[in-house]
Amino acid sequence: MARYVIRRLLLALPALFGLILLTFVLSRVIPGDPAATLAGDAATPAMIAEIRAQYGLDRPVIEQAFIHVRQVLTGDFGKSVFSGRPVAEEILQRLPATLELTFVALLIAVFLGVPLGLFAALNHNGIIDHLVRVVSVGGLALASFWLAIMLQLLFAMELDLLPLRGRIDVALGMPPRVTGFVLLDSLIAGRFDLLMNGISHLILPAITLSLPGLATIARFTRSGVLEVLQKDFVLYAQAVGYGRFRLAAIYVLRNAVTLVVTQIGLLFGALISGAVAVEAIFDWPGLGTYSVQAIISADYKALLAVTLVVGFVYAVVNVLVDVAQAIIDPRVAEDVA
Amino acid sequence: MRLRSRFIRLLAGAAAVLAAGFVAPSADAQQRPLVWGDTLPATLDPHAIFDVPSQFVLLNAYDGLYRYQGNPPRLVPWLAESHTTSADGLTWDFTLRAGIKFQDGSDMNAEDVVYSFRRLLGMNRAPAAAFSPVLKPENVTATGPRTIRFVLSRPYAPFLAAIPLVAIVNPRVIAPNIANNDWGAAWLAANTAGSGAYRIDPATYQTRVSMDLARFPGHFMGWSHLERPIDIVRARPVLETSTRVLALLRGEIDATDSYLPTDQVERVERNARTRVARDESMRVFILRMNNMKAPFDNRDARLCFAHAFNYQGFNDVILKGLVVRNGGPNPNNLWGNPPDLQGYSFNLDQAKQHCDRARAAGAPIGREIEIHVQSELEQTVQAAQMFQADLRKIGINLRIVTNTWAGITAATTQAQTTPDMWVHWVSTYFVDPENWIGQMYDSQFHGTWKASAWYKNDQVDDLLRRARSSLDQAERERLYQQATRIVVADSPDIWVYNTLNLRGLTRRVQGYTFSPVGSGGELRLVSLTN
Repeated sequence: MARYVIRRLLLALPALFGLILLTFVLSRVIPGDPAATLAGDAATPAMIAEIRAQYGLDRPVIEQAFIHVRQVLTGDFGKSVFSGRPVAEEILQRLPATLELTFVALLIAVFLGVPLGLFAALNHNGIIDHLVRVVSVGGLALASFWLAIMLQLLFAMELDLLPLRGRIDVALGMPPRVTGFVLLDSLIAGRFDLLMNGISHLILPAITLSLPGLATIARFTRSGVLEVLQKDFVLYAQAVGYGRFRLAAIYVLRNAVTLVVTQIGLLFGALISGAVAVEAIFDWPGLGTYSVQAIISADYKALLAVTLVVGFVYAVVNVLVDVAQAIIDPRVAEDVA
Repeated sequence: MRLRSRFIRLLAGAAAVLAAGFVAPSADAQQRPLVWGDTLPATLDPHAIFDVPSQFVLLNAYDGLYRYQGNPPRLVPWLAESHTTSADGLTWDFTLRAGIKFQDGSDMNAEDVVYSFRRLLGMNRAPAAAFSPVLKPENVTATGPRTIRFVLSRPYAPFLAAIPLVAIVNPRVIAPNIANNDWGAAWLAANTAGSGAYRIDPATYQTRVSMDLARFPGHFMGWSHLERPIDIVRARPVLETSTRVLALLRGEIDATDSYLPTDQVERVERNARTRVARDESMRVFILRMNNMKAPFDNRDARLCFAHAFNYQGFNDVILKGLVVRNGGPNPNNLWGNPPDLQGYSFNLDQAKQHCDRARAAGAPIGREIEIHVQSELEQTVQAAQMFQADLRKIGINLRIVTNTWAGITAATTQAQTTPDMWVHWVSTYFVDPENWIGQMYDSQFHGTWKASAWYKNDQVDDLLRRARSSLDQAERERLYQQATRIVVADSPDIWVYNTLNLRGLTRRVQGYTFSPVGSGGELRLVSLTN
């Protein structure tokens, strides 16, 4: 298993290096001149030229690319051309918000999607199956920004049950920062009120973000379980008298879930990209809103760094998914070895 | 069964705790701080940036020698108690008030003012643009503990009008934080070094996400004008318009930005807890034409386009009459406009006649014209779409190109790359015709976004330069009126309206006072009722 994990990690390295180069190229095709943005509204062409020189934007592209790779490899993302602050610092401030939202959305998607898919398959062509299909088609078809606004109008404005926006009530303030995750930091600070408030703020954005993932997981679980149910060993297990619950939970689900685990890895990327719209509407101060602001202001340093960080997180999650797959089905690791 | 009932009890308990979490008031909530929902600037350094959001920091955390107050804006002595100007307009002497303190408790003196101007000119970022052509750092000197002298390289009448752009910073706070000769810019981007009425708490600051301000009791203007000034202000910008309005209606924020969409005005006013403050500003909405690109190098072509825009339809129907028609480059409510100035009117027959004349003169009226809009600003898209429909009626094909502010302004540095047309506003950076007609139509500013019409008229250049260097207000007024008449007759751009600033406020906000500079964001004038 250790060899398998090391092999997966080594395979991720060239992908990350390719990402560093790709992001640099992409950053050069973003419309807009970061030097002009940085110079501000009243800037003269001379001021813009001075800033261009200061940030090395007037150097040959190859030289800029070389500097970029060297800086990234040493963990230096440079300063935001917009705020003048270190990009790494700004990303560290924002990353926990996105990760917290994404993880909770992923949990909702998995813990609701898997049982829904399982029940649908066990009630093949029954009412539950039809209902799950409606939910999964709807989950994929609904535009997240529309759903977000509808949820806000219903649960925040009409019913006054849940907060409208943000990570925590303004009046309460954030817990002392340790990890940047509101829920964890509230627990560390022993502030139960902040924890509950943080959970309440997470509900609507997490549901909105999770819905497409939930639909995907439910569909994959359903089809996986249906496939496994046709296998001989299931027939044998039924013949020896295993109960329906035991059969489904232990034999069928375990065999069907490998496909779902692969989906979770892919889903994580989709959730992070989906967070852009959800964060904007729920005013969630994460990497999604940061990226939008970076695009509008042509802040290429920030965009480069966000893409790299998200790419890194995605690569790590996929390695973890591979490991999880190998644990569930040891044949995966053996095949690779 | 026992398991199920335990599960139900657990669920009920969790729901109760969760509900308690939603409503549990804290000590802070009882103090009811003001929650400000307007956009925050990208940096807190007042010498590094100058845009509309940065004025919030400038007005609250810092002070300048002079400040604009009220609407129409009056320039009043602020940190300075007075100033004098030499007869040739080159030497300006300012005298500081006595007893001004920075927020760290240290006294402000003339050397601090000198440092601030030298820092501004040394960093040479946006706010320096108004001064750098006429002022060298070594020509700002302290002539006494409370007196500062500025010696300009040539007469520059808007000098005083631009003085409020410059925040006076505390060098003693900045000095320990200077790295690589950066004037402390990296540090001040997220910290504060001012004397303003409110002190920024750097611990709560997150770029464009949150900023808390606490009242500075020692502010030199005092607080006797308010019975209950606001002690704590939490700036929490809300990114999305719909969420911003909902947050206001729910009372989560006390103020929106001052560009509330017109379709939301009625909704905010219907709510018993909220209102809309409507104030005529000085922010002109313009459709630019690139006068160096055909067909806009032809006056008839420009007049054709000017007559093809449905001003009334856009202002009264799309924007519900919540703007004021503005027929020239300067805002209506600014001096320097001819009293009888008439803007162009929507008349497709007249437009067609001008287009025919332009076509006869060889202008390529039939080519596809591109108009660049700012994707995040819906009004620019609406204006372009309406214009596109009307132009089609006279056989002109207008293509709408989605872009961003950064993308467009980067392209306007050269005539060849400047779009055929683009849509934007010119806001109040300082209150002088120089801010509008001066910087938009004097050809010496070609290459800046403000002068992106690439208009060139020697007579206008001469008038604007004379107006800029004259210290005689009556003469300046006459020169600007004359220049405005010529510019409007030449129709280099399409001037549509002057903005009515619309800021959603909760009714507990009292004393909100609008000024076009800062858009009503001066917190020392505001109080709250519980």
